[in-house]
Parts: sequence; structure tokens; C-alpha cells
Amino acid sequence: MTPLWIGLLLVGLAAVVQLAPRLQSDAVYTTLVVAGSVLGLGNAIHVLLHGGIPVIRLASALPGGDWVFGLDPLSAIFLIVILATGAASAVYGCGYMRYAPHSGRSSHAWFALEIVALSLVVCARSLVAFLTAWEVMAIGSFILVITEHRRVEARRAGYVYLVATHAGTLALFALFAVLARGTSDWTFASLAANIRAGGAARDVVLALALLGFGVKAGLFPLHFWLPPAHASAPSHVSALMSGVVIKMGVYGLFRVVWLVGAPPLWWGWTVLALGVLSAVLGVLWALAQHDIKRLLAYHSVENIGIILIGLGAGALAAARGNWTLALLGYGAALLHTINHGLFKSLLFFGAGAVHRETGTRDMERLGGLAIRMPATWLLFVTGAAAIVGLPPLNGFVSEWLVYRTLFGAGQTAGGSLRLALLAAPALALVGGLALACFVKVAGVVFLGVPRSESTAAAREPSMWLRAPAAATAIACAAIGLGAAFVVPPILGAAAVLLPPSPDVSVAAAAAASGSGQLSIFAGSVVAVLALVALVMRWLRGRVAQRVFETWGCGYARPTPRMQYTASSFAAPLIGLFDGLSGVRAHRGATVFHTEPYDLVLDRVVSPAWESVQRAAVRLRGLQQGRLRTYLLYVVATVTVLLAYLVLSSRR
Amino acid sequence: MSDAIAALGALVLLLVMAPVVPGVATRTRAALTGRRGAPVWQPYADIWKLLRRGTVYSRTATAPFRLVPIAVLATVLAAAALVPLDGRASLLGFAGDFVAFAYVLALGRFVLVLGALDTGSSFEGMGASREVTFAALVEFALFIALATLAVVTRSLSLTAMLGAPLGAEWASAAPALILTAAALFVVLLAECARSPIDDPATHLELTMIHEVMILDHSGPDLGVILYASALKFALLGVVVARVAWPIAGYNTVARFGALAASVIMVGAIVGIVEASMARVRLTKVPLVIASAVALSALSLVLVLR
Repeated sequence: MTPLWIGLLLVGLAAVVQLAPRLQSDAVYTTLVVAGSVLGLGNAIHVLLHGGIPVIRLASALPGGDWVFGLDPLSAIFLIVILATGAASAVYGCGYMRYAPHSGRSSHAWFALEIVALSLVVCARSLVAFLTAWEVMAIGSFILVITEHRRVEARRAGYVYLVATHAGTLALFALFAVLARGTSDWTFASLAANIRAGGAARDVVLALALLGFGVKAGLFPLHFWLPPAHASAPSHVSALMSGVVIKMGVYGLFRVVWLVGAPPLWWGWTVLALGVLSAVLGVLWALAQHDIKRLLAYHSVENIGIILIGLGAGALAAARGNWTLALLGYGAALLHTINHGLFKSLLFFGAGAVHRETGTRDMERLGGLAIRMPATWLLFVTGAAAIVGLPPLNGFVSEWLVYRTLFGAGQTAGGSLRLALLAAPALALVGGLALACFVKVAGVVFLGVPRSESTAAAREPSMWLRAPAAATAIACAAIGLGAAFVVPPILGAAAVLLPPSPDVSVAAAAAASGSGQLSIFAGSVVAVLALVALVMRWLRGRVAQRVFETWGCGYARPTPRMQYTASSFAAPLIGLFDGLSGVRAHRGATVFHTEPYDLVLDRVVSPAWESVQRAAVRLRGLQQGRLRTYLLYVVATVTVLLAYLVLSSRR
Repeated sequence: MSDAIAALGALVLLLVMAPVVPGVATRTRAALTGRRGAPVWQPYADIWKLLRRGTVYSRTATAPFRLVPIAVLATVLAAAALVPLDGRASLLGFAGDFVAFAYVLALGRFVLVLGALDTGSSFEGMGASREVTFAALVEFALFIALATLAVVTRSLSLTAMLGAPLGAEWASAAPALILTAAALFVVLLAECARSPIDDPATHLELTMIHEVMILDHSGPDLGVILYASALKFALLGVVVARVAWPIAGYNTVARFGALAASVIMVGAIVGIVEASMARVRLTKVPLVIASAVALSALSLVLVLR
């Protein structure tokens, strides 16, 4: 673990550099963060390929026992997500905050600290170390979300996030309290032994995990804090929140599965059902958005859903002792976690560049940016194709694994496991809706003609914003083409979650079958595209070419306002899912406009919160600031308690 | 090895005869509605003519617009490599290749729709919006049908799901397979923009889905797009035909003959459907696709029971 520690130290040093007025420099900061991340990444990849590292114990005199850290393949996967996305976002952040210089410095320091806290969360192997790192991470993301705290929107989003995350932490305290019942050693190893020996209520632990880690992951219906927080934060923070921070919820669920062994069937079904709901509703709500960053945030709900479908199906198969399918499901979830970290940060980088250059996130005011920002456009559309799951990019590889799990479950002989197959068509629907949604974003924002003047003046952003996006895009393509090399180690990491036995390694080999041909297929798609492009070039070279106005079916003077808008593009799908899609439509003779709202936040959470506030107002009458009233309360309380004592002792 | 050569031969045969399929469909429709109609090789002539015509590009259009013909043809070619065209072997088969089949076709659609939005025309935006809407529903139906095939054949590769193992299951799972073939046929109608979902012959842009998206393409670009559409039609026709008519047991010559015959038959059946029912209103199209969902869901219930 030494390279990782040195790496984290370097990243921590970067935070110090940003805080010291004499030392602060973007060059030093990025060098430190990138160098530290590369060191940590190397360590994580080594662990992924060659197995885990025994725990490190830091003796502590504080209550709660020693602080224990470790690095197994499961942690390694999440470390890869944290450090790869984190480093790219940190570099991007330097360029991004130059548009708003006054709030940059301390925000960079927090950003570096957040990367360290996240890394410690996935390496912690004892209760107190884990919860401490978890809270630093949660508070750190709150501070990052309210970076632009002068805006009401950012403050409100920050508070909603803070309340939600602490509600989740409360569930985690309950979770660990149940886990630690009957044992004084609070390391994960002994907690695992305790629960497997029946010392703690397994079902309660698993249910609390869904609640506590579910809030962090942003799964339906606990996602309500996520869209405002991701939309109002600066884009590099959105990238980190969406790509990494919500993955800590996924990590928590995996770590709990690791603790309890094979979870019971009900938990697998619950996770699978929540995954399907999150995926379908997430993408549907994304379709309704016109704020490009809110739209991307809802896609995080969708992708968490896809990850949970893999986790749920894997848990079901593990409960049935089908190791091949268990590995496929867990592996699919883990690979999709990495992939989503990559393409979602790539998309937020693009959205951030658009926001900074045009001054708006409203898609109805954008358009025609492909000519003005060609590199940003190419990178964004790569990310869009990857998130939709199109070959030959990385999203396809993990979705292929999910489909194989679900179809494999459908082929098992007898038993309820076969019904997991029903999630496959839902996933296909999600894929189709995601394609619709990203065609809408890419098309309305980047293609056609500008819908406002500020958009027409946009230019390509600086290298700071393009280079990290290019790096993540290359990673997306590399995983897509190199499935043969990526899938086996991921499945190996998933084996950590199953009991060690020779059967599991046989199952890993069976689960990895086909990944080689998948790479060949991805390569052939690229080759055929290149070949057809050559033929097309030859065909076009033989004929005369002209450039003229778009054919308007005879109408000669088109204006930008005649283009299809984001509202109108999504209208047929929104109409199909009427009532579920959370949209208010305004129709007029010359206007069609839709306005999205969140079904959970605006229809359930906010009204509930308001009624709590109303009840609290009525209670206010009790507190008048008069001493004699308070004395009366004290006397009344003491009397009631005395009466209780007397009555209970008489019995 | 001979299987691989036969697969390559079958692909070449499909590439050569693809434009016949829409030709047969149009001719059948014309004959049944009391007209003479264009000869079945008319699509060849159309494509040949377009390849020699000059092109006009929209002033607004950028790279996606020019990428459209390349992407639609290349993705259909890649998808064709995964299907056992002669009922026995595909060029490339692996566990889960059916996902690759569906998603590589989606890649083609992704570029096609972006190309439509690239022109900034409201007509093409309209077509793009409709295309992605109906495609999402079709994808749902398609995967239920694929699930039936996967459960019946206990395989995750199209080579088996549409090949010899499927033929062996006809004895036991005939009702489910008939329903699946019917569902896949509706999927074909939707994917290939045929009536009653879309009307390839309409002249009114406001009612189009697929045609309106390629309104701005001309010359070789349009020619290649037309060829790719024909090839997609033929390829999905083969998929439907392989479910309904297993031919793995025949000898090589008979399998090639059956391939050619089945593609032409699918074209003819599409023509009969188009002649016998009018195109439905746009708002009713989801109901047509829902019929595919219902058919395939029923077949899945039959095999999962």
C-alpha cells in the first residue's frame, strides 16, 4: 500500500499548496494531484491483477479501537474510479474556475481533500475509520456544492444535500450499531465473523444498508437531493459528485455484501427491482429536462439503476449458488461503476465548457456549437455514445455483461431466478430512451443553428478544459476496444465477494468467455466504418458537390426559431409516459414549452417537510421566553417522573 | 472452415440481392392494389442513378450529416456478421452477440438521427424525434423476443438462437416460436419504416418518420443510405425467416436457395400487409408496436412457465 499512501500524501500536499498564499499555483497543484493519483492508480491496478494486500493497523488510544486500512481488489476498483476521475476533474477545475477567480483557491483545496477522503473510505477496514472518512467526504462534498454560494440555487441545493446525506449517515450509524452487537473488536474482519456466526441480525443490516448507502447512491426514491446538487455545483465538482461520490453508496452496498456473504433472496429481488425503477424513471426524467446539467444528473440515477440491476442479479445468483452468474452480475456492476465514472465526467466536462462559454445551461437557448467548439463537440458526442452503450465504447461492454447475467438467469433450470430475465427488456427500453435523450442533448445543444446571441459568440475553451476530457474519452474507447483485457480482472475482483473455492475460479473462466470475441467485434466495427468511409470518399469524389440552404420543403427563409426544440423533441416520449414523466406542458398557438419537476422532491419530500414545519410553528407557543412558564415545565416534568417511579415501584 | 466460407458466401448473396427486397414489397403492393408497379429491380436502378448524381450539402450541416451514409451502412454490415444467414453459422458468434446486434444497429440510428438534427430543419427534427420514440419501444419488444429465443435454445449466441438448436425446438415450442416470429415481423415493419407504421411512398413530409430524416441527403449519400436501408430490411427479414423456417438441416446449395427464397418471401409478405392495411395515425403507432410487445411477452410466458 506504500505507493498509495505516498500518492494520497501528494494529493493532500496539493491542498496545502492551494491554501498557502505564497505557494499557490495551478501548475504545482495539478502536478501534485496528477502525480499522486498516478501513483495510487498504479498501486490499485497492481492489486487488481495480483491480489490484495494485508491490512495495516494504526494503533489508537481513542475509543473505537485501532484504525485499520486495507486494499483488496474491491477497493482497488473503486480507487481506480476515484483517482482517475478525480485527477481529470482536478485539472479541469483549474481551467474552469478561471472564469470565476474569486472562489477558486479554497475550492481547489477542498477538492484535493475530497479525493483523499474518498480514497480513505474505500480503504478503511474498521468502523471508526470508515465513518470518519465517510463524514469528511460528505461534508467536503457539501462545501464543494456550495462553491458558488452567492447564488440562492446553489445554497438551496447544498442544504437539501446536507440533510439527505446526514439522514443516510444516521442509517449507517444504526447499521454499524447492529453489526457491532456482541463484539468489542470493530474491525471489518471481526464484524464479518460476528454476523456470519449469527451475532447480528443480517436482514436488518441489509435493509439499513439499502437505506443508508441508497441515499448516497441516489437510487429511486432517495435520489431527490441529486439533481439540484449536481446541477448547481461547478462542473468539475459535478463530475466528481456524479462520477465518484455517488459510487460510494455502491461501494457500501458491495462492502456489506462482502461482510454478510451471500445475501438472502429478498435482498437480491429488492435491489433488482429498485435498479429497474431507478433506471427507467431516471432516464424518463432526464428526457424531460432542459437544463443540460440537471439532465446529466438524472442520468446518474439511471446508471446507478443499471449498476444495481447487475448487483441485484448477482446477489440472486449467489444466493442460489450459481457462481458464474454471480460473478457476471457483480462484475457487470463493478465495470459499469468504472465506466460511468469515465463517461459521466466526460459529459460534465463538455456541459461545463458549454456553460462557461455561453453563460447558460438552458438547452432551449443553445444550438450550433459544433462549428464553434469542434473539439468539445467531438468529446461530448463520444461520451454520449458511450453512456448510451453503443459499441465500440466502454458502456457497451458493461451493458453486455448485465444482459448476459439476466439472460443467463432466464436459462437456469426451474426456480424463481428465471424471472430476473424480465429485467432485460426493461434495460433495453432504458437503452432506447437513453439514446433518445442523448440525441436530444447532442443535437439540440451542438447541431443546427444557435438559438441565442450569446451562443453564437461561443468559442473553444482552453486546453485545461479539453485535455482532461480527451483523456477520459480515450479511456472510454480503450475499455470498449480492450474488453478482452479488462473483463477478466474485473471478474477476478468480483470473486472477492464469493466464498473462496476452486469452483469460483472455474466460474470466473466461464464468465469471461466471449470477451475476446467482443473485442474482435468492436475492432471490426471500427474497421468496417473506416472501410465504408473510404468507399464513400471515392463515391463523393466522382460527382459534383454543392453547398446550399437546408431544404425547407419550399420555404425559403428559415429562422433559428423554426428548429425543433428540446421540449418538442422529447414531447412524444413524455406524452407516452404521461403522469410518470413529471412535466408541466404549456401549449399555445405559437408556443410549446415543457417545464420539468421532480416527482419525489416536489411532490413528496417538500410537502412533507412543509407540514413538519407547520407542526413546528404550532409547538412554538410552548416557548415564550418567560421564566415562570419554564419553571412550570420543570415542576410538571418532575411530578410526572416521580409519579411514574412511585407507580412502577408499587407494582 | 467450410461453415465460415458458407457464411461469407451467404453474406455476399445477401449484399447482392438486398435491393430486391423493397422492390418485391413495392411490386406486391402494387399488384394487389390493382396497379402494375415498378419492376422488382427498380431499387438497383435508383441507387445506380443516385451514385452518379451530384450532391448538395446543407449550409448548416457539419460532420454528422456526412457521416450518416457511412454509419448506417457500416453498422448494418457489422450486424450482418453476427447473424447465421444460412441457418448454420455466422462470421462472428459469441455469448451475448445478440446484444451487439441490437446495439450496433442503435449506433447507426444514433448517427442517422444526429445527421437529421444537423440540418437545423424542423421537418428533420420532427422525423428524428419520432424515430427515437418508436425505436425505444421497438427495442423493448425486440429484447422480449430475443429472451424467448434464448430460453428456448438455452444459448446466448445468435448462431444457436437462429440456427440448428432452434430448429430442434420447433417440435416442443412451436406456439411460442410462431408468436415470436410474428412479434419480430412487427419489429421489422417498424425498423424498416414500412406501413402500417411508416409509409415509404407518402409525399407529405409532415406524416413521415424515416424518409423525412434523409430529406436533405442527395447523390451518392442518398444512394448509399437507400442501399443500407434495403440491406437492413433484408437482414431483419432473414432474422424473422430463420425463426419461422429453420434450414440448418439442408445441404449447402439448398440453404443458399432457402436464404434467397426467404428474403423474397418476407418482401412479398410485407407487400401484402401494406396492401391490406392503411398506415395508422402517428398517435396510434405505439399501439402497433405494443402488439409486438404483447405477442413476444405471450411467447415468453409460454416458455418460462
